[in-house]
Amino acid sequence: MPAIRNQIRELRARREITQQELADRVGVTRQTVIAMEQDKYSPSLETAFKVALVLGVSLEQCFQYDPRGKR
Amino acid sequence: MAPSLSYREKTLYASLAAEVLVYGPYFFLHQQNSVNKVAGMIIAIIVLQIVLQLVIAAFTRNRVTDERDRLIELRGYRAGYLMIASLMVIGLGLLWFHATVGHLELDHRMVGLHFLSVFFGMLVISDITKTATQIVAYRRAL
Repeated sequence: MPAIRNQIRELRARREITQQELADRVGVTRQTVIAMEQDKYSPSLETAFKVALVLGVSLEQCFQYDPRGKR
Repeated sequence: MAPSLSYREKTLYASLAAEVLVYGPYFFLHQQNSVNKVAGMIIAIIVLQIVLQLVIAAFTRNRVTDERDRLIELRGYRAGYLMIASLMVIGLGLLWFHATVGHLELDHRMVGLHFLSVFFGMLVISDITKTATQIVAYRRAL
């Protein structure tokens, strides 16, 4: 279980935003969005804030930290 | 959705292909090494890299690079540096061993070429390590 998990996929689906749209609005590649959704990449704080902003939720609603998780 | 290759990833695969294609013969035909051959290989890799990068850039619409790309790039450079540093230590150790314990007999005229070959080989291995590490990092969790 990764230390930082996220709800990007669910939030994105709820707002009907594609991976490419989210990537363009955040300023990352679609591959990075895919890696984040698969919990294979933990973004920087700035990117995490941007993702939450684009998805219209708070940082805590989008990203969760599990201290027992693997980093 | 299946992750297609990003612009940066495509250029890495092209670099690895060019490196293997041009540097490959170096390891198998090293008996006939010469300064001209090494220089030819360096020119060939530069030309091939430019051509491949131009083709990829022409056929890739989205050429954005982001923080993950930069992080992976740093990982690659770290792996490449560790490889060349390790090879240097091993190489210097072997040189010292042969000079003191063994019997290193190099023809005067060939010393420069021998060193050129060894250092070029180190550079090739570390370069391939760097590119391969970056490709693996793109496929694995970061």
